[in-house]
Amino acid sequence: MIQSEFPEITTFGTLVRFALELERVAAMVYEELASDPSCAAGADTFKALAEKHRARMALLEETRREKLNEAVLEPISDIRRADYLVDTAVPKGAHVKGSAAFAAVVEDTSAKFYRDTARIAKSILHGAVPIFERMAKENASNKARLEGL
Amino acid sequence: MAVLDPVSKNYGKMKNYVNGEWVDSESSKVLDVRNPATTDVIAQVPLSTKDETRAAIDAAQEAWWSWRETAPGDRARCFFKLKTIMEREYENIARIISQEQGKTIDDARGETRRCIDNVDTAAGITSLQMGYNLEDGAASNIDEEVIISPLGVFTAVCPFNFPGMVPFWFWPYAVATGNMFVVKPSEQVPITTQYMFKLIEQAGFPPGVISLVNGKEDAVNTFFDHKDVKGVSFVGSTPVAKWIYKMAGEKGKRVQAQGGAKNSLIIMPDAVLDKTVNNMLASFYGCAGQRCLAGSNMIAIGDIAEPLLKKWLEASKNLKVGCGLDESSQMGPVVSAAAKAKVLGYIQKGVDEGAKLLLDGRNIKVPGYEKGHFIGPTVFDNVTPDMAIAKEEIFGPVVCFHRMKNLDEAIEFIHKSPFGNVSSIYTQNGRSARDFRYKTQCGNIGINVGIAAAMAYFPFAGYKDSFFGDLHGQGKDAIQFFTDRKVVITRWF
Repeated sequence: MIQSEFPEITTFGTLVRFALELERVAAMVYEELASDPSCAAGADTFKALAEKHRARMALLEETRREKLNEAVLEPISDIRRADYLVDTAVPKGAHVKGSAAFAAVVEDTSAKFYRDTARIAKSILHGAVPIFERMAKENASNKARLEGL
Repeated sequence: MAVLDPVSKNYGKMKNYVNGEWVDSESSKVLDVRNPATTDVIAQVPLSTKDETRAAIDAAQEAWWSWRETAPGDRARCFFKLKTIMEREYENIARIISQEQGKTIDDARGETRRCIDNVDTAAGITSLQMGYNLEDGAASNIDEEVIISPLGVFTAVCPFNFPGMVPFWFWPYAVATGNMFVVKPSEQVPITTQYMFKLIEQAGFPPGVISLVNGKEDAVNTFFDHKDVKGVSFVGSTPVAKWIYKMAGEKGKRVQAQGGAKNSLIIMPDAVLDKTVNNMLASFYGCAGQRCLAGSNMIAIGDIAEPLLKKWLEASKNLKVGCGLDESSQMGPVVSAAAKAKVLGYIQKGVDEGAKLLLDGRNIKVPGYEKGHFIGPTVFDNVTPDMAIAKEEIFGPVVCFHRMKNLDEAIEFIHKSPFGNVSSIYTQNGRSARDFRYKTQCGNIGINVGIAAAMAYFPFAGYKDSFFGDLHGQGKDAIQFFTDRKVVITRWF
């Protein structure tokens, strides 16, 4: 089981912290799948997707650094943590298709989180909206890649 | 949720930075610096002597001409390098601000960004300091031009509420234009400035160009008395701003002194209620109300008063108060026991004056931080314009709720205040917004914005008793404050 700590989302800081945790967990899910011999056929894809999610963490940190403006720093109350939690119990010994289906749920959850975050960010951090929208699109593209396995 | 790690638990005794070297003050007067959330001692700060302050100014003056002769493009390169270093150190800077000042980490991150914004702006000095000329301007065959020249050594006396940002309203522009600068941070929050100076040192500014002197009155008085100091920039309370303005003026120095505030936010009947409430939370409670741009009077126009107050109370009650380094905290403590006592005194005064205390933040308990200087969101209803809580700067998370009939009555109330820092209006009506920005006598106006904080490339200061001087901080005003115009008329035989 991958250890995770998803915070309640009350501030921009916790929103980015939640997103960072989503990316870290997604990367670890892919790394575990890549190392599972029963998923050898998808190992390269899983490794590549793990790298993509790790790279997104840097983008999120850059977003926090450059887009945060305290003039519009408002409390956040309409994103519920429970709606975006991902299952961190990665299945062992599953066939590549089953593993890909497990990972696809992580991508779906992540995509939903970024779509909803982009909507919220429109009023408080407009400059971050394109970044969150891009993240959601990438999730969809990752999912398509998984479906090809 | 885990609290973010501080950069250090104890930063030791603060040093001065003079002529490019870190030096210990020999002053016997040393104060403790405390984390306002825990009250733990996290540093000590010396109150430097007049001689030590004088030595910093002398060293700056000695080194001035060499810096003045450094090409603007080369000066700008130091700022580009500093920007790179600050971006790398962004999170550490923010954590130190939060740790020593108490504000939430998001507020501190926003403040750090504003520091970097000022460095970005000052890095454009090759354009900002350009003069102008006119061929045949004096007569046929005689040209005339204006050169924008630096003046020498400038100084700043900084407040406790923005330990990172306020020095950056001034020194980057002074130094970029070819001047020298001596910063005196608030003795309550000196750690951020020391950390910043370590970054400034790495950026390669030559010795003496920018100096740091920790201290209080002795340092400030030396700024006035020293013949080589050309000007003083100040941010703090109105009584001190007035004194700084007078003292610096008497000694023939340039001065820009930013004082206190009592800011009003007007909510028109057509305001978008949910978004207005959310935005105002940041204004009234951000930085625990210790902003010169913080909301203090909330003025409801007409029949929006009841639904607004209901939503406001609900949102205020739900606000999470806690240690600033806990990312989930939405409001941190005030800076010190003295600051807390002052705010509590005003709350009691409001009760004594007959205002109705709807939400009382005096006895808030923050688990794990029982000793911290926390005050919960506090809301008074039935506040009338004659009450002290409606007129005086409280500098804490205290909301004074007023009901008024129309916009004109609200503007009249704002104009009766001796302060004029910022006012905001929440409305969807362009006519109301236009009338408000046209009539209101404040240095900063917000329209559906509760913290109308000018960006680095715009000037920042208030009107009336919120500012003493003429040229504001930041942007082009700062360039003018730190330079003079030299007219050259040229004729070739």
